[in-house]
Amino acid sequence: MRFSLNFINEFIKVEMPAEKLASSLTMAGMEVEHFEKIGSDWVFDIEVTSNRYDWLSMIGIAREIAACMHKRFIIKYPQIIKKPLIKERAIFIENSKDCPLYIARSIRNVNVKEPPDIIRERIVNCGVNTINNIVDITNYCMLTWGNPLHAFDEDKLEGNIYVRRAKNGERFIGIDDKERVLSCGNLVIADEKKVIALAGVMGAKNTEVSRQTKNIFLEAAIFSPVTIRRSRRLACLDTDSSYRFERKVFGDYLECASMAASNLIEKIAQGTLAGYREAGKKTAHTQKKLTISLSSLQNYLGDTFPKNKVTRILTSLDFKVKTIGVDILKVTVPAFRLDIEREVDIYEEFIRIYGYDNITAKLPFLLEQKPKISNYHFKNELKYFLTTLGLKEIITYSICADKELEKAGFSKPVKLTNPLRLQENALRPSLLLGMMACVRYNINRAQENIRFFELANVYQHKDGSFCEDATLSLGVSLSRDSFSYLKGVVEELLKYLNISSWTLQEKSAPNFTSALSIVAGNQPVGSLGKLDESVKKEFELKEDLFFAQLDISCLLSARRRKLYKAFSPYPVINRDISIAFRYDIKFKEIEKIIRGSQAYIVDLRIVNTYEGKDLPKGYQAFTIRLFYQSSDKTLTSEEVDNLNTQIRNKLLEAEGVILR
Amino acid sequence: MEKEIIALEEEFKQDSHSAITQQDLEALRIKYLGRKSALASLFTRLPTLSKEEKITFGRRLNVLKNQITAALEEKTKGARGSEAPVDLTFPSSDIQRGSLHVLTQVSLELCTIFEKLGFCVTEGTEIEDEWHNFTALNIPLEHPSRDAFDTFYLDIPEGSENCGKFLLRSHTSPSQIRIMHDSKPPLAVISPGRVYRPDQVDASHSFMFHQIEGFAVDTGITFAHLKGVLLHFAREFFSSDVNLRFRPHFFPFTEPSAEVDISCFACSGKRPQTTDQRPKQESQKCSVCKGKGWLEILGCGMIHPNVLTACGISAKKYKGFAFGMGVERPAMLKYGINDIRLFFENDIRFLEQF
Repeated sequence: MRFSLNFINEFIKVEMPAEKLASSLTMAGMEVEHFEKIGSDWVFDIEVTSNRYDWLSMIGIAREIAACMHKRFIIKYPQIIKKPLIKERAIFIENSKDCPLYIARSIRNVNVKEPPDIIRERIVNCGVNTINNIVDITNYCMLTWGNPLHAFDEDKLEGNIYVRRAKNGERFIGIDDKERVLSCGNLVIADEKKVIALAGVMGAKNTEVSRQTKNIFLEAAIFSPVTIRRSRRLACLDTDSSYRFERKVFGDYLECASMAASNLIEKIAQGTLAGYREAGKKTAHTQKKLTISLSSLQNYLGDTFPKNKVTRILTSLDFKVKTIGVDILKVTVPAFRLDIEREVDIYEEFIRIYGYDNITAKLPFLLEQKPKISNYHFKNELKYFLTTLGLKEIITYSICADKELEKAGFSKPVKLTNPLRLQENALRPSLLLGMMACVRYNINRAQENIRFFELANVYQHKDGSFCEDATLSLGVSLSRDSFSYLKGVVEELLKYLNISSWTLQEKSAPNFTSALSIVAGNQPVGSLGKLDESVKKEFELKEDLFFAQLDISCLLSARRRKLYKAFSPYPVINRDISIAFRYDIKFKEIEKIIRGSQAYIVDLRIVNTYEGKDLPKGYQAFTIRLFYQSSDKTLTSEEVDNLNTQIRNKLLEAEGVILR
Repeated sequence: MEKEIIALEEEFKQDSHSAITQQDLEALRIKYLGRKSALASLFTRLPTLSKEEKITFGRRLNVLKNQITAALEEKTKGARGSEAPVDLTFPSSDIQRGSLHVLTQVSLELCTIFEKLGFCVTEGTEIEDEWHNFTALNIPLEHPSRDAFDTFYLDIPEGSENCGKFLLRSHTSPSQIRIMHDSKPPLAVISPGRVYRPDQVDASHSFMFHQIEGFAVDTGITFAHLKGVLLHFAREFFSSDVNLRFRPHFFPFTEPSAEVDISCFACSGKRPQTTDQRPKQESQKCSVCKGKGWLEILGCGMIHPNVLTACGISAKKYKGFAFGMGVERPAMLKYGINDIRLFFENDIRFLEQF
């Protein structure tokens, strides 16, 4: 909303520099976003919050400025003439809920021409286009009083005027020359034959005031904010008029706006007021009276204020204040303040003028509260833990394209009913897509050593409702050993959480060449694996991706308290075994032979992978390091050699295994 | 033999002078004390000498051996630690550090500041319904105040609880409603999380971003407490000398409501130029606050009695304050990040800077 200082000066003399005015209005809640000098005028662009319909008029803004300057503001109301009655046509309102009151003035023999400079300058500086003297006068009066007006070419009206809902499929060409198909969600003004306006939003082309117009039918009305909002949304329109109706308009000024416009048309366009007609009635408003106590005001805001200060500020905002006893104030709310409903609204009115910044800041003593169930800290702990392993956290979008999800085999995701774009029309049921996108992005920018994790929610339809589960994903793409790295991270995580009896079980999974199910107790908590070649191709990944996904609440419930476990004080002795075995033999089987034979082996690791020409075809070769330790004695070198020989012999017995 | 001993003494003195490294000293030890050293060969000649000479030269040789040993020991103590000097100009190894996303870091930092004041942290769900996202927050369904909260709706069938359509929450305030609904005051809670709005993506807009909601409800909570808590937060998070400015504003769920600006921590708001009408050269203006001197960072207010009532809390007995702020904006301000899309591209070159 823009206002012109010269315009305001017609109502109240502003005696402060523009800069000072801008800052004091801003600090009183009328935020000045921008202001500039245009010719001899200062133009202010203000943000009007949705509760302050009254600031959409010069009268309202002038009143606010008066309060900031601690001045009293007095409005000059025009003398209202309601005679003679318009006899040519009657006005019918279909539903008083849509339109409680409609008034019209007929002004004859006008001269439609250029507007006088002063009118044009006022409205243009307030951001309204100039059209001709008649239209500009209606806008001038709308800007003054806040009530939108519309002027029809009276000679183009056919018969009675109706305020009614549009018929489905009814067509309307606005003064913007665009045709719109209406429905019963639109409120229209119509005559016997045609629609002449989209009520409260825009006039129709067919009755527009032009240079040939001689007689004017001037409309002023109260429309339901909800009806206008729905109607203009259906028509994809947002006009100065609908903007005001949506935020309510003040009924008391309706006659003033109409009368003032009529007077100006007489004066400027040489017309004559020839008639008046109204339909419906003004909604009577009871004077709102609120009782507030000074002590509750102070308890609410947390500071002390002298009573006379409170009284003075409220009075400057047109509230009537009556003091009862030491503490009680009886406050009468001015009729134009439709937004004031209860005590706290009065507190705000006082404090915004008194100045929020004048309240002394204090820290509260917060009392102990009942603990809240939350996995917030657990998730943070996981994040920290994963960074200690060298992984980087990523944050990717929760919304993705259903087509992409389908490509990855995820069907029936939760969908957005009003997506902005097709790329973002569904909620992800897995973190895989986000991980792939992020890995692809980095690989395409020649980044290496990809070790990512994300902790976010996944969403799914479930039993006619939905589920939203916190989930951890891991994505690894290294130049070598990606899988053992990822498996190591998962194992470290399970160990860190002290989850008892977890296992990694081979399984087949869509999107993965080979996959492991992560099982804690008997419950699967997630899976890991190598992304399938076809998926890789589909999503244009240039490198292999190893991916794991784990459910946070499963991890949290499987987590066990850590207790110190004594470790053996006796030394660890290691021996290496160089081994080759056929590709069809799983390492698991080798490990079973090694571990199965005796109890002193505490760990084993692969320390070397051998790829020589001397290997038989179809064999892979490793050096396995075995770690021997006893919990109750020091093992001698001979004992260990002995044990190691036993293992070697057992390995030799196995088919497809060669020792080197 | 006398001459040979003296010559050996001299030779050692000179050699030991130039020996600096451990390696040099080891060579010296082998040369003078080793099995094949001149000293050793002199010792082997002792048995061929006369009895008196044996005593004299034997003593002389032993003294020399001790001298050399002592000298070498002394030298070894002072010698450089390594055998060969390290070329310190070699490049460092490629250390791969794990890192939290900068938004997580900022969110954690913000939450921790409030946790230290006694707030506890809980998260709400991202899928919400109209009642929690709007109605309970005193935002009527058909009202212009909803324009500020454009929202994504979801194809989940409406539930039986009369909570309206399901949607992606457009702010973190619904978690305030859930907590107030489910637990009794006193309450002091922080609730961070993702929120969604149908905004076209550009350098400063994203359809997904993060917010932090905070609120406290008790019998004695006042607007002054809201100011105190937020001032404490701003000074902890930005810098100890920032100031706050509370501007009256309108939010349906708070009364009174305010928008809060911090004084620009880059230019300290020393030259607020809102009053200056001549267009300034862009380069002359502070790049952080664009010359305004103030940066808008959050919205807040006293919880509207209608909201307390909707959650089953007596508005007569209890009062509360609430505030909500974005996470991206303070992160961008703090680290000079100029494009919101950087957060969600996850370029390693971006991630590894934090």
